[in-house]
Amino acid sequence: RDFRAADTQVPDYPTVEGLRHMGKLVEERTQGRLKLKIFANGALGNERDTLEQLKLGGLDLVRTSLAPLNNIVPESIIPSLPFIFRDERHMHTVLDGAIGDEILAAMARQGLVGLAWYDDGARSIYAKKPIKRLADLKGVKLRVQQSDMFVAMTEALGASPTPLPYGEVYTALTTGIIDAAENSVLSYETSRHFEVAKVYSLTEHTLLPSVVVFSKLVWDRLSEADRTIVRQAAKDSALLVRKLAAERQAKAREAVQAKGVTMVPVADKAEFVKAMAPVYARFAATSELRSLVQRIQATK
Amino acid sequence: MALTILALTFFGFLVLGVPVAFAIALSSVCTILYEGLPLAVLFQQMMSGMNVFSFLAIPFFVFNGELMLHGGIADKIVQAAKNLVGHIRGGLGLSNVVACTLFGGIAGSPTADVSAMGSVMIPMMKREGYDADYAVNVTTHASLVGALMPTSHNMILYALAAGGAASIGSLILAGVVPALILTACNLGAAWLVARRRGYPALSRPAMDAVWRALGAAMPGLLVLLIILGGIISGVFTATESAAIAVVYSIVLTFFVYRTMRWSSFMEACAKAAKTTGVILLLIGASTMFQYLMGLYEVPDLAARFMSGLSEQPWVIFLWINLILFVLGTFMDMGSTILICTPIFLPIAQKFGMDPTQFGMVMLINCALGLNTPPVGTTQFVGCAIGGVTVGQVMRSIWPFYGALLLCLMLVTYVPAFSMTLPLMFKAG
Amino acid sequence: MKLSVAGLLLIVLTVSWQVFGRYVLNQPPTWAESLALLMILYVTLLAAAVGVRDAGHIGMESLLVLVPDAVRIQVERLIHALVALFGAAMVWNGTLLGRSVMDYRISGLGLPEGLRYLPLVISGALIVLFSIEHILASLQGRDVEPAWH
Ligand code: NA
Ligand code: NA
Repeated sequence: RDFRAADTQVPDYPTVEGLRHMGKLVEERTQGRLKLKIFANGALGNERDTLEQLKLGGLDLVRTSLAPLNNIVPESIIPSLPFIFRDERHMHTVLDGAIGDEILAAMARQGLVGLAWYDDGARSIYAKKPIKRLADLKGVKLRVQQSDMFVAMTEALGASPTPLPYGEVYTALTTGIIDAAENSVLSYETSRHFEVAKVYSLTEHTLLPSVVVFSKLVWDRLSEADRTIVRQAAKDSALLVRKLAAERQAKAREAVQAKGVTMVPVADKAEFVKAMAPVYARFAATSELRSLVQRIQATK
Repeated sequence: MALTILALTFFGFLVLGVPVAFAIALSSVCTILYEGLPLAVLFQQMMSGMNVFSFLAIPFFVFNGELMLHGGIADKIVQAAKNLVGHIRGGLGLSNVVACTLFGGIAGSPTADVSAMGSVMIPMMKREGYDADYAVNVTTHASLVGALMPTSHNMILYALAAGGAASIGSLILAGVVPALILTACNLGAAWLVARRRGYPALSRPAMDAVWRALGAAMPGLLVLLIILGGIISGVFTATESAAIAVVYSIVLTFFVYRTMRWSSFMEACAKAAKTTGVILLLIGASTMFQYLMGLYEVPDLAARFMSGLSEQPWVIFLWINLILFVLGTFMDMGSTILICTPIFLPIAQKFGMDPTQFGMVMLINCALGLNTPPVGTTQFVGCAIGGVTVGQVMRSIWPFYGALLLCLMLVTYVPAFSMTLPLMFKAG
Repeated sequence: MKLSVAGLLLIVLTVSWQVFGRYVLNQPPTWAESLALLMILYVTLLAAAVGVRDAGHIGMESLLVLVPDAVRIQVERLIHALVALFGAAMVWNGTLLGRSVMDYRISGLGLPEGLRYLPLVISGALIVLFSIEHILASLQGRDVEPAWH
C-alpha cells in the first residue's frame, strides 16, 4: 500500500528529504509492502487543508509547522512559544524525551497521530537596521503570519504586528509598508528578502519545530507491527532532517553574508525573554500547559 | 484511468452545456468517487481556493469596472480619443482603438470594455460610413488590451494560479509595455485597413478643445495612476490599491462627474457581486481540479511529454502557445488561466521563462481566444452591437489577428518587453 | 442578493480601513484580513447561487443548437438536475466539514472555524431550490424571471 504524504515545501527542502528517507526506511523494513508517495510543493493544499484531510482520511501523512495545529491541539502551542528552548540541544533533549512524546500523543484527541519532530530552523528578525535591544523594536512594523500567538509576541516585544501575505513581503520591505519581518535564515535567503533588509538580527525568538503527523483513521487499521515500523522510521528520518537542516542553514548564512548581509547578535537575550511574560500567561493558561512549560524549563 | 474519467466527464458535461464551473466540479466529483477518497476533501479544497487574501483584488477590480461602466465615464474617454487621433486617415477607427485601450485600462475587463465602448463607437462608425465588420474588429481587438492593464482581474487570477511564483505587483508592472505594443499593433492594423478601404479622416480639432476633452477624461484615467503609483511607491499593496480604486470611483462618479444615479449604482453593485460569484465559484471549482492534477502528478507527466517533443526552448514555447491558443478558442479566459497555468508554468520555467513573462504570454493567448469562435465572448458582444454575423467579421479579421500574433511573438521571445519594468522597480 | 451587495461594500470598507489604520492610526488592525476573507465567502457563494437562478454562469451551448427542441429541453432538465445534485453535495459536505472544525477558532477573529463552511451549506441549499425551480418551470413551459439583470 502506498501512503500519500504531503509537504508544502519544495522537493529538495530538508523536511521533504526527510519524508523521502522515511519512505525508504518503511519500504525496506516491510519488504516493500508499505511505501510512501510524496507530494511536495503543497500540491494537495496548504498546511491547514492537509491536516483536515488527515482527519477525513483523504490523506495519510503530513509534515506541517505547528502554527495550523495551535488552534486545534492546545499542547502544540508550547513548543512554538517564544524562547521556550534555550538552544537547539535543549530542544532536541526535550522533544526526543517524554515531553515530546506527550505532546505528540495529545494530537490523538483530534484524529491525528503525531509521529516525530522535524527541525525547521531558528527564526530571527530582519530589517534595514539592527535589532539589538528591545528598545530597537519600539513601534517597528513587523510582518507576522496570521497567527494569534505571533501577533501577541510582536505586541509583547513592543513592535506593531502587520499581517501580510508572504508573497507581498519583499515589496512591502522595499517600500516601507513594513519595517521588518521574521523567518529562518534559509527562507530569508530563498525568498531574496535579504536584498531589501540587509541586517539579520539573531533574536532566535523561536526554534519552531515542525511535526510529522499520521491520519488516525488509517493508523487504527494498521497492524501493531506496522505501526512500530512507521513510527520508528519517522523518528529515524528526523535525525537526517536535523543534519540537513543544520547544513542548509549554515550554507544560507554564508550565502547571504557573501551578498553583504550583516548578522547581528542581540545584546541581552534575557531582556527579550522577560518581555514574553504576557504571552506565556495568555497561551499557557491552564495548569496542564503551565506544568508542561515548567518541565521544559527544568530539563537540562 | 482516473485521468481519463476526469477528461471524459469534463468534456462531456461541457458539450451538454453544463456551466464550466459545474462541469469542472462534477467531473472532479466523479473522479474522486472512482478513486474512493472522501468527497469532503474536494469541497474543502474549493473553499480554501476561494479564501485567499490576494483574491480580494478580483471583486474590487470587477466592482471598479462596473462603476466606470455605469457611471458615464465612457463618453468622456471617447471625446478625448477623438480629439487626439481623429484627424488621421480612418480617424474614427483609430480613436476607437485609443478609447478602448484607455477604457480597458480603467475597467480591466475586455467584455466590459466592448459593451461600454462598442455601444458608443460602433453605431457612430457605421453612421460615418465605416463597414460594420471593420467597426466590430477594431473594437473587439482594442478591448483585449484591457486584459493586460493594471485593473485586469485576469492578472490576479493568473497570480493565484501560479501559486505565488509571480507577485501581483510585478505582473501589473509587466503588463504595461506589452499593452503599449499591442495598442501600437492595433493602431497599425486599423490604419492599414482604413487606408486600403479609403475611410475618411476627421477635421483637426483646435488645441484647446483637445486639452478640454483630455481634462474631462483625466479624473477617470487617474484610477490607472492610483494603482500603478500605489504599487510602485509601495503606499498600498495590490489588493489595497484595488479597494482604494473602488472608493475613488464611487466618489468620482457620484460627486465629481455627478453622472451616477442611485439605481445605476445598485445595478453596478449587483452586477459586481454576481460576477464575483461567477468568477470565484470558477476559482473554487478549479481548485478541485488542481487538487486532482496534484494527486495524479499531471504537471510532471506534461513536462515529461513536452520535453520529449524537443530540447529547444523556442520550439517548446511555440507548442505551449499553440496549445493555449487551441484551448482558449473554446474556453473562457478565466477557466483557461486557472486550468492551464499549473500545467504549463512549470514547463515554461524549466525552459528558462520567468513566471511573470509567462503570465503575459498566457494573458495574450487567452485574449486571442476571446475573439475566436466557437466561444468568443468579446466577439459575440461586438457582433451583437454591430448587427453583423461572426462569419462576416471573420472574413476581415486577419490584419487584426496579425497584430495580436506579432505582439504575442514579441512578448514570448523577447523577455525584455515584459520584464524590464518589474525588474526596475523590484516588485517582488 | 441585497445581502451579497452589502457584504461586498463592507469588504471594501474593511480593506480601506486596514490602509487607514496603517497610515493614520499607525496601528494596522490585525483582524481586517481575517474578516475580509470570511466575508468574501458569504458574498461569493450567495452570488453564485443567484447566478444559478439567473443562468449567469459561463458555459458553452454549441452542440445544443444542433438537436431538436424536444431533446434540448430534456437535456436542459438533466443539467439542472446535475447542478441540483452538486448543490446537495455542497450541503452535505459543508455540514461535515463545518462540524469537524466547529471547536476551533479563526486566528485574529476568535470566531468558530465552522463559520467558514456555513456559506457552503446555505449556498448549496439555495442552488438545490433554484435548480428545482428551473425544472418545475420547464415542466410547466415557463421561463424563470431573473431576480437581477
Ligand atoms: Na474578462
Ligand atoms: Na474563444
